[in-house]
Amino acid sequence: MKLANEDLRNKLAAEYVLGTMSAHARRRFALKLKESPALRRAVAGWEERLAPLALALPEVEPPSRVWQAIESRIRPATRAAPGLLQTLSFWRFSSIASGLVALALLLVVAVPGPVAPPAAETRMVVVMNDLKTRNPAMTASWEAGKPGKRALRIRVIGHAEMAPGTAWELWILPGENQNPISLGLITTHNTQTLIVPEALAVKLDQARGLAMSVEPAGGSPTGLPTGPVLYAGPLVET
Amino acid sequence: MDAEQLYDLLSRCAMGDQQAFKTLYQHSSAKLFAVAVRITRRRDWAEEVLQESFINIWNHSSGYNAAKSAPMTWMTAIVRNRALDLLRRPREVEIDANHEEMVASIPDESPGPEELLKRSIEAGALAECMKQLTGDQQRSIALAFFNGLSHGELARQMQKPLGTVKTWIRRGLERLKSCLDAQGI
Repeated sequence: MKLANEDLRNKLAAEYVLGTMSAHARRRFALKLKESPALRRAVAGWEERLAPLALALPEVEPPSRVWQAIESRIRPATRAAPGLLQTLSFWRFSSIASGLVALALLLVVAVPGPVAPPAAETRMVVVMNDLKTRNPAMTASWEAGKPGKRALRIRVIGHAEMAPGTAWELWILPGENQNPISLGLITTHNTQTLIVPEALAVKLDQARGLAMSVEPAGGSPTGLPTGPVLYAGPLVET
Repeated sequence: MDAEQLYDLLSRCAMGDQQAFKTLYQHSSAKLFAVAVRITRRRDWAEEVLQESFINIWNHSSGYNAAKSAPMTWMTAIVRNRALDLLRRPREVEIDANHEEMVASIPDESPGPEELLKRSIEAGALAECMKQLTGDQQRSIALAFFNGLSHGELARQMQKPLGTVKTWIRRGLERLKSCLDAQGI
């Protein structure tokens, strides 16, 4: 199959998406798809063009056994009970999380402490830099000082991708030899809002900084960072 | 559930959030099962396709790229490809032999391809562009798409020579593409 020609690519992609190709041709085409981004683009184009057709069919409820089969095949997400690590001090993390330790040192030195609770309706901003490139990678902002939850406005700068089987976890860095506190998992969306419960609101307002680490899918199994810290930055009052 | 919400669920699936995956299934499986049933014509095959497709969706959710396609488009393509691959496996001969019975076994309430074509397209670019095709071009494309028919099966169904049917499809698709391209789709 000579696929250098764009017209030919389009023609074949259309036949593939429409469904008229024979089994043999489909197999060969699927292999070509793996090698050719141009061909993949052509296929995506036809899938999008014909999408309204695909959505036309009246719904048919699948039997519950299908979901049961799916559910049983997905590895259940397990979170190990907080154990020994929880009781160790901040400085005795695994070496993988050493980036976090180094950062914490920086923050403790750089930010004059202790941090006083911010006045109501102060806007807090954290610019987290990519620890490798030193470029800004993510920002988080919220209104501090009021009672109740916090809505953390997060911006991921540029395009980011997670490796399969991993998750991004956001951490409060309380500083002063305290362990990081998990704010939960975030996505790679450019704009997102993370709701921080009331119980953590004060800790958030008085954080020295925030950090993001790469954890296994589902988050850290230990409740403390176990993976590399990619982004981190100090808290600033605006 | 709109694209934005589906995208959010897929992102959460990528992070291993099983509750989000369940919600995704609840909101999309009926639409996707319909696609599988329609193409494979057998409930047992359709169930197999649906199961495999959702495992695929779960495992590849982190690779889903919203810039490249809408969530439902991505998921539908996964189901369609699996259904077509299953349908076209070497038991093709068996299918052809039973083809008439299989076509007849589709319950009467199920809309025919042309009816689906009419209904499907809420005033949109595709509807406008479809109108520019000849009746034969529309019919052959609809039969191919909705019923998952190969060129040979189409020729038999429409009782026309293979070459004729291929030309209707090819010209129809070309016209669709130029029309949609002209509209910036």
